[in-house]
Amino acid sequence: MQLFHCPFCGQRDETEFHFGGEAGNIRPDGADVTSERWASYLYLRDNPKGAVREVWVHMTCGEFFVMARDSVSHHVASTTSLDCAEHAQ
Amino acid sequence: MRNLAEKWAVVPDWNTAVIGRPDLAIRSLQGLHQSYVSGDLAAWSDVSGIALQPVGAFGVASGDAYAVRVARDRLLVVSASPSAVAPGWHEGGFAVTTVSAGLQIFEVEGAWSEIVARATPLDPGATSASAAMAFAGIDAVVYRHGEMLRVHVDRGLATYFWTWAAAVIGNIVGAASKSQMETLESTG
Repeated sequence: MQLFHCPFCGQRDETEFHFGGEAGNIRPDGADVTSERWASYLYLRDNPKGAVREVWVHMTCGEFFVMARDSVSHHVASTTSLDCAEHAQ
Repeated sequence: MRNLAEKWAVVPDWNTAVIGRPDLAIRSLQGLHQSYVSGDLAAWSDVSGIALQPVGAFGVASGDAYAVRVARDRLLVVSASPSAVAPGWHEGGFAVTTVSAGLQIFEVEGAWSEIVARATPLDPGATSASAAMAFAGIDAVVYRHGEMLRVHVDRGLATYFWTWAAAVIGNIVGAASKSQMETLESTG
């Protein structure tokens, strides 16, 4: 069991959270987007080992935020509300 | 044809049902009005006359009408009388949704910390902005009202929560009896 920090609620059980994808995977915009770009957006993931930045949602309060964590040790370095961040870059 | 109703526990009579032991009791609260308020909460407070001082997880609410924070821009408002603000969208920038039939309220009297310890890993002494949490494995809104603990759950899961509470209190009583027996054996 692990506790995650919701930017609004504070410490909560990990089961209250849902993974929302890698931060910075921005949806392509426009009619001239290539199929390769769509494929990259939809299917290709970096899946790095170590420090990662991910979008998560706290299901009970609906808060979307960026979590910086280590994919090996599971140590959470920080969580930032998407209300405050420029974008989930 | 098989009677599939036998597969589910009988729904208790919520007006009279009580689970408990001398220092711990759980019962259902009937007759309170509940509504969600979303959007500009300050504007709602001005219109409703209810102070915008919502309680969070394990916060202490008081009185017959109070607000509980369940998200950054959403409140659960509980009152003994129907809301003076009509359901629906308001030009002030907020919406009111009646949920009295959707959520069932349970009140825990006495040593409720033992229930909390088995329902969530959260520290009941720590503050939190939102009272919405996973409690006993289901989504719930949890806070204190005076000396009591109040738990709002989806009405469809009320019987599950009741069954869970009965099992947990049985375990608490069983553990206390076992501890007492071991103490008597070691001193006797």
